[in-house]
Amino acid sequence: MTIMLTLSAFAIGIVGAVPLAVGLSSSNMLVRLASRLFVDLVRGVPIIVWLFLLKFGIQIGTFKFNPVAAAIVGLGVVSMAYLAEIYRGGLQAVPRGQGEAAHALGLTRGTTFYGVMVPQAFRIVSPSIATYLTGLLKDSSIASTIIVAEMVFQSQSFARQHPTVEGILPYILVGILYIVLSLPVAYLSRRLDSRMRKAVYA
Amino acid sequence: MYHFTYHVTWPTSTDGLLVPTWKIAMTLSEIADGKLAPRTGIKLDKISKRYGDHTVLDDVSLHVEPGTVTALIGPSGAGKSTFLRCINLLERPDSGTIQVAGHTIEPGKVVNNKDLAALRSTVGMVFQSFNLFPHMSAMKNISFPQQKVLGRTKEEADARSMELLERVGLKEKANQHPGRCSGGQQQRIAIARALALDPSIMLFDEPTSALDPEVGLEVLAVMRELAADGMTMIVVTHEMQFARDVSDTLVVMADCKIIEQGDPGAIMSDPQEARTRRFLRAVLER
Repeated sequence: MTIMLTLSAFAIGIVGAVPLAVGLSSSNMLVRLASRLFVDLVRGVPIIVWLFLLKFGIQIGTFKFNPVAAAIVGLGVVSMAYLAEIYRGGLQAVPRGQGEAAHALGLTRGTTFYGVMVPQAFRIVSPSIATYLTGLLKDSSIASTIIVAEMVFQSQSFARQHPTVEGILPYILVGILYIVLSLPVAYLSRRLDSRMRKAVYA
Repeated sequence: MYHFTYHVTWPTSTDGLLVPTWKIAMTLSEIADGKLAPRTGIKLDKISKRYGDHTVLDDVSLHVEPGTVTALIGPSGAGKSTFLRCINLLERPDSGTIQVAGHTIEPGKVVNNKDLAALRSTVGMVFQSFNLFPHMSAMKNISFPQQKVLGRTKEEADARSMELLERVGLKEKANQHPGRCSGGQQQRIAIARALALDPSIMLFDEPTSALDPEVGLEVLAVMRELAADGMTMIVVTHEMQFARDVSDTLVVMADCKIIEQGDPGAIMSDPQEARTRRFLRAVLER
């Protein structure tokens, strides 16, 4: 459940952040302002509050979020905001001359963006994205508060049934599991980074 | 070198009208190459550009005949680079008209993206900081714009890239990324990238300023060849020797204006303006 939760939210975030990042650096003031407002609003409120709002605050007709959906949507939207900010930073870190050279060659805005800016920005932000992913993995434990049966929630119920010293065991186990899960992310990120570095300097 | 004279006409892309006929001189080798891209001149009239209260260009006019080399010199902040960047519309002037490659640009006139891309592909530009795409090999740097802008297939583009890499003496660097090339090599690749779109005009914005003098020579050698082939060129530069030997017209800019223009030898040996004299003394006597 933890993995499913993290990956779903991450998928929403990584895709949804693209238009948001474009909006953040748009030359249209209205678009920029709206994106900025969204990002700051989402980032300014703790995840736990968003999850409670989604789970217990929203009822559209007879539709009510089930806990898992609420957790995925909540974590996904928060990821979107954080990743958009990371993307924006990456795009801004690409030297100005790159865009100018592309324009001077007659490349369209779209080609310039996807063919020139994004690949370079991706190289710059990939470590930050990996860091965010490990953060998200651990933040997914917050979903336990709205009764999503992920790792921490299950540890809690075990501890409630065994109100002795052994109640601590699942927590230790879960702690180790989180480390085991986040290690491959860090490892893959480092490999990806060094491979991209080699590609540029080879 | 054999020169043939042709009359070439070509339609503007906007309204199908023909622009005036120009006499075109082409070298034998270019005809053999099948590169019959028309040679076009540039006409800039009363270009002004301001950033807020800060004036960068003040009523600057310049006519460049096809097939000639114009060297643009002057102190920093004179507006040389901005002026150059107006020609391919990296900067939009506030007023004045630009006629280049069959396009006329006036303030307030909306240039659609298709025309803008067409204009920019006929005007090649080389930057001080090279601006090669670091995530692509030398070959890909040159081929990618050909595929995207001219719609060439990968094979066609790569063949042309190889040809140009050979021309700038860097065939062996084809599969290397720019990070593995020296500054001089990067700049020559950048020139090849601009040439790959078969431009009729080339703009150089201080192409050797970021290079040490020795390496700069490689780049200047490539530019000399281009000039000898009859490319229309505008070169912003501090290389006085190059300006004297290669350019047909020397243009001196200072304080947002062109203060003097004419034969390079004549201006360098006998400048008419005090400001030109001061500038030339500073660059020649170092």
